[in-house]
Amino acid sequence: MIAESVTPPRQITGERRQRIQAFAVAWLLALGVWQITTFISGGWVPSLWRIFEALGEDATTANIYAEMWITLRRIFISFGAATAIGIGLGVAMGLSRRVTAFFRPIVVMGLAVPDIVYIIVAILVLGTDESSGLIAMVLALVPFVVNIVIGGVKSRDPGLDEMSSVYRLQRHRYLVDVVGWQVSPALLAATRTCFAFSWKLVVLVEALSQPRGIGAQVYYSFRLLRPDHMIAQALLFIVVLRIVEAIMFGPLERKLLGWMQ
Amino acid sequence: MSRTAEYIRIVGLNVSYDGITPAVSNLDMQVAEGDFVAVLGPSGCGKSTLLHAISGVVLPQSGIIEIAGQPVGTGRGDQSVPIGYVFQEHRLLPWRTVAQNIAIVLRAAGISDEEIDLRIDRYLEMLHISEYRDTWPLRLSGGQRQRVSIARALAIQPAVVLMDEPFSTLDEVTARVMRQQLAELWQESGQTLVFVTHSIREALFLANRIFILTRGPASVFDVVDVPVARPRRYEDPQLTELEAQIVEHVMDEWGYGQPRAGDDDA
Amino acid sequence: MSVPILLWWIGSHTTTFVPPMGEVLRKMPEFLSEEDIWPDVLLTVQRVAGSLMIALSLGFGAAYVMHKGGLWGRVVDRYVGLMLGIPSTIAALLSLYIFKRSELGVYFVVSIVTFPFVALTLLQGLRAADRRLDEMGDVYRLPTSQHARHISAPHLVPYTFAAIRNEYAHAWKVVVLAELFAVNSGMGARFARAFDRFRIDDAMLWLIIFMIILLATEYLLLLPSERRALRWRGSGKEALL
Repeated sequence: MIAESVTPPRQITGERRQRIQAFAVAWLLALGVWQITTFISGGWVPSLWRIFEALGEDATTANIYAEMWITLRRIFISFGAATAIGIGLGVAMGLSRRVTAFFRPIVVMGLAVPDIVYIIVAILVLGTDESSGLIAMVLALVPFVVNIVIGGVKSRDPGLDEMSSVYRLQRHRYLVDVVGWQVSPALLAATRTCFAFSWKLVVLVEALSQPRGIGAQVYYSFRLLRPDHMIAQALLFIVVLRIVEAIMFGPLERKLLGWMQ
Repeated sequence: MSRTAEYIRIVGLNVSYDGITPAVSNLDMQVAEGDFVAVLGPSGCGKSTLLHAISGVVLPQSGIIEIAGQPVGTGRGDQSVPIGYVFQEHRLLPWRTVAQNIAIVLRAAGISDEEIDLRIDRYLEMLHISEYRDTWPLRLSGGQRQRVSIARALAIQPAVVLMDEPFSTLDEVTARVMRQQLAELWQESGQTLVFVTHSIREALFLANRIFILTRGPASVFDVVDVPVARPRRYEDPQLTELEAQIVEHVMDEWGYGQPRAGDDDA
Repeated sequence: MSVPILLWWIGSHTTTFVPPMGEVLRKMPEFLSEEDIWPDVLLTVQRVAGSLMIALSLGFGAAYVMHKGGLWGRVVDRYVGLMLGIPSTIAALLSLYIFKRSELGVYFVVSIVTFPFVALTLLQGLRAADRRLDEMGDVYRLPTSQHARHISAPHLVPYTFAAIRNEYAHAWKVVVLAELFAVNSGMGARFARAFDRFRIDDAMLWLIIFMIILLATEYLLLLPSERRALRWRGSGKEALL
């Protein structure tokens, strides 16, 4: 119990000022370093201005948005599937030691296998259509989700479990009311991580195998030796996705975790 | 050896953590050298803050704190006035053995390596825990950990040992044994001890003088001498009598209203 | 352990691509004794170890600055946040442009991609520092160097292990990626070559070697060191998965 002291208004704006300061310094420094790199590499690394121009060109063609839409669709499908499977498996494993023992080696190996391998193997086995890429992504993502969810489930309060059995709660009530809410922060963390990985992974998948999608575009720009476009497209992609991330998870986090305050 | 009457001298102490709410307000206190005094107060009254100020961990807003005529140093590595401190939770480094825990503190106090070994042996012996010299704290019981904490405090042979409710987390039987042994230890070593507690009985059993604090912010409400001969017994009727007197005395001050007739708060 | 083997068996019988297990395993001893695979394996291991060390140093530095706060704390915080969000593919392509096909490029990619995660984990560790032990250090006037050595550093050990464990696996994945795109040596490159030439059995063998190295490091290196460093805690408290 600590006495709350009133923060004088000048302190609050001071805090804001510091954040803006930091923002400015960070960006100026980064851009400065980039320009130096451009200079050192003798123009091989595109200058900021060149990137800006390329950005302008790309952002105004409709093409890029069509590609982005394709990529987004793939992200959502694989992220959705991986989260669902991962949560299901994670909860099952977290609740039962036998299930954990059974699946543990797969999950450990799953975590360790490089994503490329999944993609290559998927292509070999299933051919080169879109589905193989998606399956590869799901395979790569599930172990991460499972890992986080298991952590959350295993760290639940055993006292509440005991209470549930004393009061003879039914299985599904137990899962939802007792386990579910305790596990919700972990579920949220798992979902966020899964989404974050999925959009980074999709770039790789597209670069390797698909003719369409942002990742493929970035790779083409790379191949055609157009670093300015490569960086511009990458930037567009990253910015859009961070916005999507913020929109998806901001309000969700507040809603689900409100009871913890 | 002449004993300084004002070995610890505190005048007009004001301490506040956030600069606004005082935890200690206008507190005066003198402790004679080699004396065993208790600081008694209700929970949250600021008695821990008082210890923090004496040990130099917290800077007071105003007031004087001197030990053996010197102001208490506050910097890291400042060994002008060595202080021993026994916390409520042992605060032993769990990743170092018992001997290492004591050695770290001795080294910081500038003691030579050979002397360090000698002291470790001596003080572990004194606290009856020599066999745990190379054990990790987490393997010891609560009482044993506190013994290590006390050994650590005594080993640097400080000007003063501050103890902040060191036995409050132990079970009653262990606590009784520890109190007994602490009293004996004090008689042997003649160390100046300041013992903070919220238990009136504990204060009466251990100390020669009790400084009773007011409810927060703390200042000294009264000073009670305990003229009971040592060795004392925990259940001594003299102590019971004194306890009853103190309880009645502080009831109002600590905000619990008039006791009903015949009510004995043991 | 049986499930992946089962899956492989099913895979090999339903498609013409995946070679039957027996055949692949039979090729193993021959494969292992081929001398020219070892330099590549060694090279990749070297890259992983080196980048990890760089990532740990950078990550610790970043976490320290972030924890201290102030202007630079916030600036570094922004950088770390930004770098967490870069897809490793893009980082690989970018480094290819900057460093051309040099060794430095590989180290660059792997370090840049993994160090933000290290920073995050270590920052958690710094934030969780036990104030009570710090206070004890102050009361006994421990000089700063001793304080760091006996109190601050040991506290970070479990966090460091967590960071190493996670980022080690991560580093392997990125290194394969980097080798695929950027250089012509190392395990990733060999794996890609096998894929290109449709030598599926070779690809499988590389995969197996990869697995073996990973499991070996975990069980022979990481777990024992962790157990030893944390033996003061008593048993059963190491990471589970």
